Parts: sequence; structure tokens; C-alpha cells
Amino acid sequence: MTNRMYNWLRNPVHLIGIAALFLLSYTIIWPVMRIVSTTFFWRQQDTRLTAEADPGHFTLYHWERVLASDMSYSLFYKPIMHSLSVGFAVSALSMVLGCGLAWLVVRTNMPLKKTITFLAVIPYLLPSWILSQAWLTFFKNGKIGGTPGIMQSLFHISLPDSISYGFVPIVITMSIHDSVFFFLLVGAALSSMNSQLEEAASVTGAPRLTILRRIVFPLVMPSILSGFILIFTKAISSYGVPALLGAPVNFHMISTMLYSSMRSRLTTEANVLSLTLMLISMLTIYMNQRVIGRRRSFVTVTGKDSAKTLTPLGRWKHPVAIVTVVAMTLTALVPLLILLLQSFMLKEGNYSLSNLTMHYWTGGSDPGINTGEKGVLHNPIFKLALRNSLYIAGVAAVLAAVIGLVLGYVVTRSKQSWLGRAVDQVSFLPYLMPGISLAAIYISMFAKPTLFIPALYGTITLLIVITIVKELPFTVKAGSASMMQIGRELEEAAQIGGASWFTRFRRILLPLNRKSLVSAFLLVFISAMKEMELIILLVTPRTETLTTLTFYYAEKGYEQLTNVILMIIIAIVIVVYIFAVRFGKADLTQGIGGQ
Amino acid sequence: MQTRLHKNKSLLAMIMLICAIMLMTACGTTSKDEPASTESNASTDTTTTPAADNASNGSDTSAATPAAETVEDLYAKAKEGGKLIVYSTSGRANDAAETFMKQYPGIEVEVSKVKSDEMMDKVTKEQDAGQFNPDVILTKEVSGAVYEEMVKQGRYIKYLPEEFAEVVDEPYRTQAEAYANYVEFRTIFYNTSTYSQAPVTNWWDLTTPAFKGKVYTADPLSSPAFMDLFTTMVINSDDMAAAYKAKFGTDIELHGTDNAGYEFIKQLFDNGLIVLKGSDDVLDAIGKASSEAVGLAVSGDVSKNEENGWTIAPILDIQPKTSVPDSGYLFIANKAPHEAAAKLFIRWMMGEKDGTGAGMEPFNKLGSWVPRSDVKTKNDVAFESLNLWLFDGEKLYNTAPQVRDFWIKHNS
Repeated sequence: MTNRMYNWLRNPVHLIGIAALFLLSYTIIWPVMRIVSTTFFWRQQDTRLTAEADPGHFTLYHWERVLASDMSYSLFYKPIMHSLSVGFAVSALSMVLGCGLAWLVVRTNMPLKKTITFLAVIPYLLPSWILSQAWLTFFKNGKIGGTPGIMQSLFHISLPDSISYGFVPIVITMSIHDSVFFFLLVGAALSSMNSQLEEAASVTGAPRLTILRRIVFPLVMPSILSGFILIFTKAISSYGVPALLGAPVNFHMISTMLYSSMRSRLTTEANVLSLTLMLISMLTIYMNQRVIGRRRSFVTVTGKDSAKTLTPLGRWKHPVAIVTVVAMTLTALVPLLILLLQSFMLKEGNYSLSNLTMHYWTGGSDPGINTGEKGVLHNPIFKLALRNSLYIAGVAAVLAAVIGLVLGYVVTRSKQSWLGRAVDQVSFLPYLMPGISLAAIYISMFAKPTLFIPALYGTITLLIVITIVKELPFTVKAGSASMMQIGRELEEAAQIGGASWFTRFRRILLPLNRKSLVSAFLLVFISAMKEMELIILLVTPRTETLTTLTFYYAEKGYEQLTNVILMIIIAIVIVVYIFAVRFGKADLTQGIGGQ
Repeated sequence: MQTRLHKNKSLLAMIMLICAIMLMTACGTTSKDEPASTESNASTDTTTTPAADNASNGSDTSAATPAAETVEDLYAKAKEGGKLIVYSTSGRANDAAETFMKQYPGIEVEVSKVKSDEMMDKVTKEQDAGQFNPDVILTKEVSGAVYEEMVKQGRYIKYLPEEFAEVVDEPYRTQAEAYANYVEFRTIFYNTSTYSQAPVTNWWDLTTPAFKGKVYTADPLSSPAFMDLFTTMVINSDDMAAAYKAKFGTDIELHGTDNAGYEFIKQLFDNGLIVLKGSDDVLDAIGKASSEAVGLAVSGDVSKNEENGWTIAPILDIQPKTSVPDSGYLFIANKAPHEAAAKLFIRWMMGEKDGTGAGMEPFNKLGSWVPRSDVKTKNDVAFESLNLWLFDGEKLYNTAPQVRDFWIKHNS
């Protein structure tokens, strides 16, 4: 018995899996358990809701209130239907956008691939409210007043509410923002696929559609499903876009209800709502596991080099490239440039040359502007915030990418066992826990030393830890999607040659997964640079970051200063991108596109 | 082989589960959610509290009943301590900190900006874990929750120096949970290029056909301070009923609602109230181009007029009452590590004894009132003359969830 267990544990996959599960238990399961337990007990706060409340005792009241009371329809069922429909629609639309783009870039001879790949990342760089704001600028009707929408003022078309607000714009803006996940995941899968498979089929006379259906589709299926779940979860948990675009037509989603409960200090109600979101996505992951689990897995990366032939687009080559670039410029570059311009404009909305200024960047204190607030580069804590942001994002992104790969390895190599499934499921929860709740729990968990963990609260380390945890859903998905394509035989060969697991990982798996690693690194880096909700509770004056600085500016209504910080963040990301391409020898365009 | 593996699996699962449970219970004992029973573990206050300061925070109750402390004494004591930590919901504290550090060299101040509800979570969790980080708290209320969950539990402590009290206006001298360094409120804004005078004098005006589809509000579901105004109308429904009679000459008829407060909310909905995300969205809607619409926003927003290209003004007198105060309260945090500096900074923000200190300037603005009788307001109306309901923390705390439920049910 002990012997068998010893053998089982000698398998590095199991050993790592167990270690990972321990780590995940502490950083994820334990917080979730605490959230679960609050929903079954009365708290002092609950005396506000009902006289029955008996603090400290067991109750089903909270679940009843959400699921089966006269409030349930407005508080839960209607919002959940909205969440689900938005989730599915966003996933579907992003899939079309992301996969289409990935196919064009990877498998065809379309020109301008590098430019297009670069442009594809930009919408994700922008805060998601920018696209929603842009939508309103163009398509709002008279209902919400203010400056009329461009459609209305130019073409005198008053759009119906259903186009201007609610479901349609929420789905469209979120899809544009998040489809980069599909693009990168599916692109990586497509690029490591050997085109000989397609050629072989084509030689035997299979029509193109059949090739697509029987060969390409099954091969990228795991990546598509991963992308689907990721986007779905992101969509149902996001708050900013639905709050802005949904409010005018009272379109509530679970995420907006949850935010409201939280701000109104009905914490338990918020917990119940976020648990329902977690249940839904665990269900989706379970179905996904069933789908993938039943299929044979397809190994496309073997030791052999693979030739790539690109699908010729023929006379469509240039039109397709032009349409793609134009569309992407409109959704990515234009908003970016407008923001950049605004950061140089003394007064908003005044487009004359004399209105241009460096004040918000480098200006000193001028009582006439922003009540004397200095330019960003002169802000005394700017340097500290910049250093902290870079440090957090850099360290967290590297660690998160590697951890994601290792966990992805466990997930794929023990796909059929409980271990792989457990890691897969658990690593997915952080997207659905509201950042604030997770952070609040982390304060109690890390404020004093526990076991061998020192008191991390107030240190940058804790900010890094929580960033890594929050990004696990993405990094693990990316890691396992990319691992799934790598055959065991490479590892087995090395094992026979006497290489230790660590050597195998370092010499075989890391290099082969380089593309996926770099894209994971980059996306985590971007999210970490933009992250706010998650860290705002954990930040202390010494650990201030660029985003917490924008929080201060935004509250005071200093819009240009906020834009300056945003521009700095974007510039940093672009520099990091270029560095990753140059020195990481893992050009995303090349990685995805092939030469 | 298969079945053996299975046994193995379940055994391992058991072990895992046991380990996990042990791990969890191990931590479970150290951190409880609710009470303020903060066992002072000697080992815990390591990160921020220099040992030297422990002496000064032994008397945390003294903050509530200030003895006559002179500025000089406080300054001398404060210089010995480390950095003063301020948690603030408003950036105004940053501005005050800058002048403070010039006035009192040798004391450094760091301000963390946190939303009021998040601050409650942060401070509660910190204190329960034995970490006493902040010294000064500047916060808005969250429907009475600050009072019920923080002040009553002794986490935030009121501090009003005795020699200041005589010039402080009620309710902030004795009735309110603490002294408020500035007071704002939610009220109706109108566009001054459309209307030469306030188009609304009674809250019930908003339910008339003249304003059908022309009233905006920031979403009270995501900004509890807006809900507080509606909740206060429910609490003071008699006032609302009287105002109805004054406006229409007849007694109010309830259409399936409990009282005149709820009826007002319902009639607002029926009249096509439009909910936008935030205060700025509301003012953009009515203030950018000439507009007949009116909207609910924060009085202090009037100071952003020029910057945002708005032509808006708040209405300062509405029947039965204009609004309920949204106060920026000043507290000393429980077991503040730098109590002397904290007191000194609060005095500075209050404008010192004579009410002329530069620390008050960020608070004495258009649309925000300093409740001191000796301070001249920048607004047309003095604080004492504002026609406001009392902010009743306890009632609000217990009524707000019902009003929120009513809102969710009728407007989604």
C-alpha cells in the first residue's frame, strides 16, 4: 500500500499536482470556503434585513432571499438571464473575431501580419470603459441627454434604445476588448499545427470544408474551448461596461447587482451572488472537460520539424488586409490616439493648436489648473508608484506564466484523473471571485504569520501573490492548451536518456511552449499594470501603484492627468512587448504567424 | 489494475481532504470575522508600529474625551513618532497634508485614498489581525454603516477638541457620530443657460408631466449615498406627505406603497426617471448642451463646472427639505500609533482654533460647507440656513435595505 503510494508520488506529475493542489487550497479554496460559510450564518449586519436574524447561528435565509423570495426575480433570475446571454454572445462573437483573425494571420499569405498582430493587442491595453464611451459618442440617442451622438447629429438618425444601450453595445464592446484572448490562444494552436496534415488530406481529395471540419477544427478545439470559457467567465464577471451601458435601460447583470450589494454593505448577499457565478462556470468547465476528455487528444508538436504552407488568398489578399487594418485602426488606434491627444489638451474638447500643452505631463503647480495639481512627472509619489507597478507586473507576469505552464502540465498529463480535473477546476475560480472579496480575505490571511508564511500584508509580495492568483484562470488555460499539443515521446526519450524532470522541463517543455509563455506573460503584465479593484484594499502608502494614483486623480475629476498615467502604462507595455519580441526570441507575430 | 488505482485515488483524496481541512481550521482559529475583540498579540504589531510609539497609544480612550492639549505639546510629541498615516475617502486630505507638512516640519504624512465601504473592510480586517495602521480617518457615511459597524465598535473614535466645540454647528457638536470637516448633499441640478431660476421648489415637482422623461439620477444601487436621500424620504414620509399636500392641495393617495416616501419613488419611476452610472454622467446629460432636464448630483460637483464645460447650478432650497447631509467625518483610528500627530493633523484640517488655518481651505469650497459658525462659507447660503433632514445613522442603517429592495423590484 505505502509502496504503491510511493510509486504514485514518484511520478513527477503527481508530486507537482499534489503540491499545486496544496497551494491552491490555501490561496483559493480556503477563501472560497470562507465565502461559502458566510452565506449560511447570520451576521450582525443581517439585523438590517430581517428581525429574525440571530447572529452566529445557521440559516438558509440568504439563499432563500436570492433564489426563492419575492425579490428573486429582480435580484437574481432576470440578472442571471442577462449575464448568461451576454456571456454566450460575447464568447461567440469574440470567437468569430479572434479565430478569424488568427486564421488570417497564421494560415494565409495575407500581408502586414506584424502590424495586425500588434494592433490586435491594443484594445486589451485600453480600459474597457473607453470602448463603451466611444460607443456612446457615436450611437447614443436623445435619451441620456448631453452632447448628441454623432449618428444623430450628422445623419439625424435617432437610434432605438436597444441599439444605443443594453445588450447589443455591451456584447459588441466586450467582444472587441477581449477577443485578443481567442486570437492568441487559437493562434498559438494553429501555428504549432503541422500543415502536412492538411496537405495529406488534400492529396487524398478531401474538399476544403472537410479538411477544416475534420482536421483543423478538432486540432484547435481545446484552444477554442479554453478561449470560450475564459471569455465567458470574464464577461459574466465584468462590471464597468454593463454599468455604463446598461444603466439607462435598467439592464442589470449579476455582476452589477453584486457590486451594488457590496457597496450597500450587504456582504452576504454579494457572496451568494458571486457563488452562483462560480457554480455556473464550474459547470461550464465540467462540460468542457467532458467534451475534451472524450476525444482523443491530438499531438501536433513532435520532435520533427514541420513545414508550413500558407493558404493563398488570391486576389482577396490585399482587400482582406486593408479591411482588417482599417477595422482594427478604428477600434484600437483611434481611441488610443484620441486619449494621447487629450493628455496634451489644456481644456477638454478644444482642438485648437494653442490649447496644446505639456502641463499635465511636466508642468509645475498652477492654481488656475486643477486647483494647483502638478503634472504627473512631478507628483512626489510618481516614481515610487512607477517602480512598484513595474516590479509587481514584471515579477507577477513571469511567475504567473511559468506557474500556469506547470499547472497546465499537470492538467494535461493527468487529464483523466481527479488530480488534473481538480487543478483545472480550482484554478478557474479566481476570475469569479470579486477582487474586493478576495483581497479582504487576504488581509486576514496574511496580516500575521501563519505556519511558515510570514506576515505579508503591507508588502509588495502580497500584491504579487494576489495578482498571480487572480490571473491563474488565464495562465493555466493557456498553459494546458499549449501543453496539450506536445507529445509525451519527447519527454520519454529524454527520460530514457537520464534527464531529470527538472531538466526535461527546462530543456524541452519551456522552449517548446515559448510562444504561449510569452503571450501569457504579456497579457498578465498588461492586466497587472491595469489592475485596480484587486489591489486597492491591499495597497499601503509604500506600495502605491500607478493605478492607485489614477484613482486619486479620477476622484478629483482630473481627467487629463488620468489619461497621462494611462499613456505611460500603455507606453511601458509597448516597450515590454518590443523587448519580449527582440530578446525573448519569441516574436508573437512570428510565433503565431510563421515566416 | 483499474480498480486498484481507484482505491488509491479515493485514499489520496481522503488524505488531501484531511490535510486541507487541517490547514483551514488552523487558520480559522486565528481570524474571526465579526467582533472587535482584538487580542493584542505582542508578536503582531511588527510591520508599521515602531516600538517607541507603543507608549503613546496606551490611552486610546483619551481621544474621545480630549483634555486641554496645546498645539505645542502635540507637536513636540508628534515629532518623536514616525509617519502619520491617513485613510481618506477624499483627495482633499492630500491637499491638507501638503500645507500641514509645511506648517509642522518634521512630521511626515502619508494619505491612502480608499472608498468608504472598502475602508471599513480594510480597517476591520487589519484591526482584527492586530495591525493598527491608520491614525486619522476621513470618511463619508455608508447608510449608517460607519456608525453602526465602526464607531459603535470603537474602531473609529470621535475627536473634537473641547476648545473648538463652541463654534461648531449642530448636529456636529453633540448629536452626530463625529465632527464633519465638510458637508455636501445630493440635490437637484439644473442648467443655468435654460433656466434663469431654479425650476424645482418641491420634490413632488419632479413627478409632474413637465418633467416626464427629464429627470436623471446617478444609480443609487451602486452609489449608496444617493440611496440615502431616498431612504431619508421614506423615514420622513410625513414630511413628504405634507409637501405633497402643499403642492397639489389634496392628501396623498398611495398606489400600493407603504408611505409617501415610497410613493414618491414610485411616481418618479412612473414619470420616466433615467438612471445613469455616476454623478458626472448626470451632469454631462443636463449641463453640456442647453437642456430642460434636471438631475440629481452631489452639491460639491458644482466646482467642476468650468473644467467640464457645464453650465449647471444646484438648487439649495426644496420642499419639504432639500436633502440629507453627506458628511466628511473626521476620526482617530482605534489604537492609532501616532495619536499626537493625528490630533494635530485633525486640528489642522479643521482650520485650527480660530478657523483661519490653511488646512481648511480644501474643504471650504463651492458646494461644500464647513460646519463652523466662525468660518465664512463660499456659498450663497450659510450652513445653518440649509434646510436639511437629520442624518439618522441608526434608522438609515436599518431602513436602507428595504428601500433598496423596493428600488430593485420596481426599476429593473
